Amino acid sequence: MSSGNPIPLRVSNKQASVWDIDDIAKLRSHHHICGVLAGTLPHLSQQNVFLGVPLLLMPEEVVLLVEKKLAVLVDDTNAHRDPTPTALSRWDSERLRGVERQLALAEEHDAKEALNPDRAMSEKAIRKRKEREEKRAHGKSTTTDTSQEIPEEDPSLFAPTNHDLPGFDSHPKSSGAPSSHTSGVTAPPQTSTLPYTIQVPGASSTFEWYDHSAHSFATLAAAREAGVWDYPTTPAERARCGVFQDLWEQGYFMGGGIKFGGEYLVYPGDPLRYHSHFVANVIESPEAALRPMEIIAHGRLGTGTKKSHLLCEWDDDKKSVTYYSIEWAGFG
Amino acid sequence: MQAHPSHPQLTQLLSAYPKSAGAFFQTYNDVTLAQKWSNIEVIDLPECQRGAIKGLRSSLTAGEPPSTCVVVPCSLAESLSTSWIRDAFARLGADAPDAIFVAICAEDSSIVYYKISKGIVKPQI
Repeated sequence: MSSGNPIPLRVSNKQASVWDIDDIAKLRSHHHICGVLAGTLPHLSQQNVFLGVPLLLMPEEVVLLVEKKLAVLVDDTNAHRDPTPTALSRWDSERLRGVERQLALAEEHDAKEALNPDRAMSEKAIRKRKEREEKRAHGKSTTTDTSQEIPEEDPSLFAPTNHDLPGFDSHPKSSGAPSSHTSGVTAPPQTSTLPYTIQVPGASSTFEWYDHSAHSFATLAAAREAGVWDYPTTPAERARCGVFQDLWEQGYFMGGGIKFGGEYLVYPGDPLRYHSHFVANVIESPEAALRPMEIIAHGRLGTGTKKSHLLCEWDDDKKSVTYYSIEWAGFG
Repeated sequence: MQAHPSHPQLTQLLSAYPKSAGAFFQTYNDVTLAQKWSNIEVIDLPECQRGAIKGLRSSLTAGEPPSTCVVVPCSLAESLSTSWIRDAFARLGADAPDAIFVAICAEDSSIVYYKISKGIVKPQI
């Protein structure tokens, strides 16, 4: 597994997030840290089953990544500098050039259509149009309004028929994530009658005035001193970090356990491929009070969902974890 | 309690650990009469301040041999800890099973049994 540079974790108000798609992929595939996507997908904004960047990390995940030298903490607020006038004008002219490129492409497309006016009425085109209308009739309840507005006969709309622009899928049911670092919004045209897309990058690292190197912390102590990060502070938080690290070192993937009444869900592999076998709870110390009713509640819920409940005891003196698995006995 | 036929076997541990006497007595009778385990013996767990019961439990699936089980009684109102669980395993010694059962007794005589295994043990399918 290649290590490469440590991954920058953008910290704002003591919450760490990741905005670069490649880093998110690396965290999952190289470091088996999944996190939770929390951003709205521009093309599927009216739902929250599928979400996009940023990826939010649990504090235990952040602590583990920094201690293992796999990531550094970035003081995101201060890394966003004020742009200089030259940097700003460079950004603006780049943006205008992008708009001009889009308009040029659209005009080229128009010209092609003008040269070949009967193309829309050829047999092949008529047949394809019919197929598309039938598909749309079937999927009418799930399509959004904008995709319905892509008639083949009106080439002036920015989203023309499928083949010309790369990466655009006109099928109404497509739910793939949009290309990295951009979100599209159609806006009214300014000088020409053709519309164009305004692109907003997802990651600030593309901006000239974003400087994370001056605001990075490679250790938790350094970040704590700068007031950027302070987890873990209490014995309970230390216990959680200890247990999380021990489970991670054994190769497990961890997720939040709220849906199964525990602190973590423990997966033997990527959560996209496996169900979790365990629901884990952190026991702060060997002497921490454990009520029999907790054993009953956790054990019965675990067994009822085909999982085992794990009691993970953290010993702060020995810095070690002891595991006990709880199951309903099945008799009595 | 003293008039009960099972009392003679239990006298020693009942008087040694009066706080767990109720749960111990209840569990012993449930295991012998309702669960119908065989080869029943009582074990002293001084670190846990109670007695435990060991016996052969017949398997639920036909054809499988009975298994030796150890059950540690406790009351619903008690406060336990993971070091209590550790002590129970430790006292059972080198030939301790990988899992013990805890019998949680309520004041209305309900008992529920839960299996506690050492380590990360996957659930049985």
